[in-house]
Amino acid sequence: MALDYSTLKTLRKNHPAWKLLVADHSPLIAGFVHKIFIAPNRRRMGQADLASALEDYLFTLRETEGQDAFPRRAEAYLDEWASQEKGWLRKFYPQGSDEVHYDLMPWVEKALAWLENLVQSPFIGTESRLMTIFDLLHQMVQGTELDARSRIQSLERQKAEIDAQLARVREGHMDMLDDTALKDRFLLINKTARELLGDFREVEYNFRRLDQKTREQIALWEGSKGTLLENFFGERDVIAESDQGKSFNAFWDLLMSPTRQDELSTLLHKVFELGAVKELSPDMRLKRIHYDWLEAGEQTQRTVAKLSGQLRRYLDDQAFLENRRIMQVIQSIESQGVQIKNNLPGNDFMTIDESSPGVWLPMERPLYTFPVKPVIEEIVSLGDGSDIPSDILHAAVFVDRLKLKGIIRNCLQTQDQVTLEQILEAHPLEQGLAELVTYLSLAGDDEKALFDESRNHRVSWTDKRGVTRGAQFCAVIFNR
Amino acid sequence: MDILLESMSKPVIALMKGVVFRENDERLWQQLEDGQSALRDYVQVLGLELIVDASEGYAWLKTREPLEGEEPLPRLVGRRKLSYPVSLIIALLRKKLAENDSSGEETRLILSVEEITDMVKVFFPAGGNEARLVDRINSHLNKIADLGFIRRLKGRNDKIEVIRILKAFVDAQWLHDFDERLNQYRETIGAGSNDQGHEN
Repeated sequence: MALDYSTLKTLRKNHPAWKLLVADHSPLIAGFVHKIFIAPNRRRMGQADLASALEDYLFTLRETEGQDAFPRRAEAYLDEWASQEKGWLRKFYPQGSDEVHYDLMPWVEKALAWLENLVQSPFIGTESRLMTIFDLLHQMVQGTELDARSRIQSLERQKAEIDAQLARVREGHMDMLDDTALKDRFLLINKTARELLGDFREVEYNFRRLDQKTREQIALWEGSKGTLLENFFGERDVIAESDQGKSFNAFWDLLMSPTRQDELSTLLHKVFELGAVKELSPDMRLKRIHYDWLEAGEQTQRTVAKLSGQLRRYLDDQAFLENRRIMQVIQSIESQGVQIKNNLPGNDFMTIDESSPGVWLPMERPLYTFPVKPVIEEIVSLGDGSDIPSDILHAAVFVDRLKLKGIIRNCLQTQDQVTLEQILEAHPLEQGLAELVTYLSLAGDDEKALFDESRNHRVSWTDKRGVTRGAQFCAVIFNR
Repeated sequence: MDILLESMSKPVIALMKGVVFRENDERLWQQLEDGQSALRDYVQVLGLELIVDASEGYAWLKTREPLEGEEPLPRLVGRRKLSYPVSLIIALLRKKLAENDSSGEETRLILSVEEITDMVKVFFPAGGNEARLVDRINSHLNKIADLGFIRRLKGRNDKIEVIRILKAFVDAQWLHDFDERLNQYRETIGAGSNDQGHEN
């Protein structure tokens, strides 16, 4: 793509990386995400942790920048950064968690890399880059040479070079890389290694896009299902067989081989012992960069596997045709629904099968049990005679039974049973003892709730005066 | 024999009590998959059919269709009656699920009550109290949650996950019946004599 005026104008308006660089708060955002995601090579973080980290970050910034520097709350910033319009953070719910998680979008990494370039490297090694180019060219030419004779020729030439080197060393002449050459190479390694780490986000993003594109094509597919399958899968897997997929898999295989890993470890270790390298006071993280690669690569690997699996499932037998039919029928339902909106049908309209056979054993219902009489074992100690305003006793606390009932009901929507202890963990007492007693009385009224006197639970809360109070109660189990 | 019996008991009991999800109990799921054919034979006696969706990771029992010339058995699986709003919301959630699947990426579909309200609003009489509408939708959602098709996220009451099992229960056939019924209803109240939007 040519960098002409109109392209650049669109880029500045739409590209998240550029938008990040020109944003009013760009130092805040870049500094924060670098600290949280890039430096420790973190790939995801839960909302609560991220918000509290940002709150800390803002707190220190306000010390120097003044109290009104960043007026909004951490959550508000995160929401904005993850919004469609900004697109710097990816917001998602990981399997098995009800908390929103965040990760960086790949382009943020690009903007940060550019920023890093501004502050880094007093000198840029040029020799090592040239050598790399020669190496790559050699590989490409040799790797595509069909003629056996010229391949042999080129190998022979390499052999001759190596022999000459061997002879020189045997004579006692050893070519040493000087310090400058060493630094030159080390800096290139450092840069490439860190860049590779950043690339994973982009690789993953590319896979996601590929998946989305494939699904779109499938959804719009007009031909028969047979040709559809042939087109998208045949014998291959769209995602694993893409250029991106093949390159990534080759990288992964290389990295996963134990000999390669050992080799990398040994080499890195030796390199870090070199005087010239020490002089550069290198980033020690580089020493274990391959573990970081493994970690980041594994996540990408998982994404690829997940996407491939999902895509297959999407194309699975009925799903494809059924989805299409469903969309049609729902369209009709919607248009009819709008027509009758001022004349809604009363009573029951449809039926649906329950998700399991109903087995209601009469003997499973709890028999009548005598209500538990609380035994108060507390020793009442005499007060110190100080004045206690008696209206506290009269100002009865109002506890909203309906609200508590709602809490119990909500807890039972995700599980068959819930103990009062678990409920209190998720919804700490706000009104202290009065609230706890209300819970117990709700349990008493509830036929399906059980009291287990063999177990005790404790709960503590802080009252309005800031005193921590506690209570002990026998275990209560609510049932759906 | 005893070992066979033991390995079958747990899955059968779990299935009799409700849908079995792989992610909730991997071991139970393994037992269920291993003993699938024996389980199938066993529940057949009760007039039930075992459905296992290995790729989605859930299994449940449904009423077995009587074979040809067979006397239908009494139903063990109950039927829930659904009000019109609940039926409609279920259908719209099913649509969301289908859209979500065709846009890729996330298998989990999580919606906020607000989004659902926006989606549903146009199907209810305009005007009136917005807050009351939200309350009513919330109570419809509670019914749907009781059916096991959605659940509220822990700690975030305003967020709802649509459980993928909805796909199995609200299928093209069910939606088609719903559509038919709407058509009949529309005819009885004589609203909109034009048949637009209705397809066979």
